Amino acid sequence: MYKYIPYILLSMALMLVQIFIIDNIDLGTSISIWIRPMIFPLIVLLLPTQWSSIWVVLVSYCVALLMDLLLGGAGLYVITLLPIALFRSTLIYFTTRRSAESSEQSQLLSRMPLPQLMIYIAVSLLLYHALFFIMETLSTANIMRLIATILLSTICSLLISWPVVRIFTTKVGA
Amino acid sequence: MHRLLEFIKRIYVVLLFLLLEGMAIWQYATSTPYTEAKILSRTTAVGGYFSKKITNINHFFSLSDENEMLTHRVSELEQTLERERELLADYAEESWQRKMQDGEDSEELHYLYYPARVASMTISHMRNYIVLDKGERDGIKKNMGVITPDKYLVGYIIHCSERYSVAMPVLNTEFTMGGCLSMTNYTCSLRWSGDSPYHVDIIDVSTYAQPEVGMAVEVWSERLPKGVIVGHIESFEHNAAKTAYSARLKLAVEMSALDNVLIVENTHYGEIEKLMDNIENQTSQTTKN
Repeated sequence: MYKYIPYILLSMALMLVQIFIIDNIDLGTSISIWIRPMIFPLIVLLLPTQWSSIWVVLVSYCVALLMDLLLGGAGLYVITLLPIALFRSTLIYFTTRRSAESSEQSQLLSRMPLPQLMIYIAVSLLLYHALFFIMETLSTANIMRLIATILLSTICSLLISWPVVRIFTTKVGA
Repeated sequence: MHRLLEFIKRIYVVLLFLLLEGMAIWQYATSTPYTEAKILSRTTAVGGYFSKKITNINHFFSLSDENEMLTHRVSELEQTLERERELLADYAEESWQRKMQDGEDSEELHYLYYPARVASMTISHMRNYIVLDKGERDGIKKNMGVITPDKYLVGYIIHCSERYSVAMPVLNTEFTMGGCLSMTNYTCSLRWSGDSPYHVDIIDVSTYAQPEVGMAVEVWSERLPKGVIVGHIESFEHNAAKTAYSARLKLAVEMSALDNVLIVENTHYGEIEKLMDNIENQTSQTTKN
């Protein structure tokens, strides 16, 4: 149980930062329609790799449901976060060429070289943002604006994620 | 049951994912009128697509029943057409008025049509036969003609049992029937040499007939009404003595795909047969004397 305390603390911190800081920063309407960073998917992305898929899906559901309740997502966060949780091990394999199901690599993510870990997180966040904004707009009328929002929000999320990932690799995975 | 449980055990994560995702989509779709309109219209489109595919598959499997129903309908229509033809012929003979007054609508028709289906058949032998699923109890008799619903010649009945009948198709080396060139009405004889299931030959076509490639050849027989097509001329030539033409026909009927057929009864056939027998008897008696 104790070994999961850093994960729990990290998850709580990420949720609080997302809800009370990132979602409350007033950048003005002209910027906030282009940039809406979301870093809470890191909770799912950085979960221990030895966890079975069912636990990853259940934890993701709980996190997304909480986000829906707190931010009024009406199911949008569950819709977008669950596919990332289900295909997490596939994403790890395709971005790092390492199998997440190998029992010998219980701390695969924290011991992974930082550039490789960032590629995995970048691809996952890009997919999450794409899913989120597509489901939110449900329209391809402004496709270029949609693509720009996805890309800019992903880049911004990656910049915010950088220190979180550093903390994860040094403190949590140690 | 055990295998089903094993299968569910293998995919339970995906099932859980689908359940949770489905619930979330439903919640999101019903949250605002905009999402409701957008998501439900998409799901309706997807549902409609699959529904259409399933309907097409069902329709494909019901084609056999539809074919049978259509054959019955063709049979009824042919009978109605025959009635109309006879009324027209009567009218031409100025007896139509009298018939209407006497209520002779119920008078026996010249041709009667019975729908039937092919139970079994061969086309690869020299003497091929077709077994039909209608027999004596359905009113089928020897010497009735067999045609397709689109009026192509198949053959004629040679044997009947209570429930089944056997027809000799045109693809039988013993098959004999008269024919005529449809544009000219010059008569000929049909025969099958046994070399191809798609072709038959006609012989004894008058040298005045002027046959042409593509010309239709119809049946000229007391077993069948006029207008039944045998095939179309593919090639023709003079016989050795140059006294007549012989021609090769491409059969109109596709024997290998035969299913629904119509059995045609000429109600005057017995009378004609009796008449011919009398003539033959008289001829043989004269020969003896």
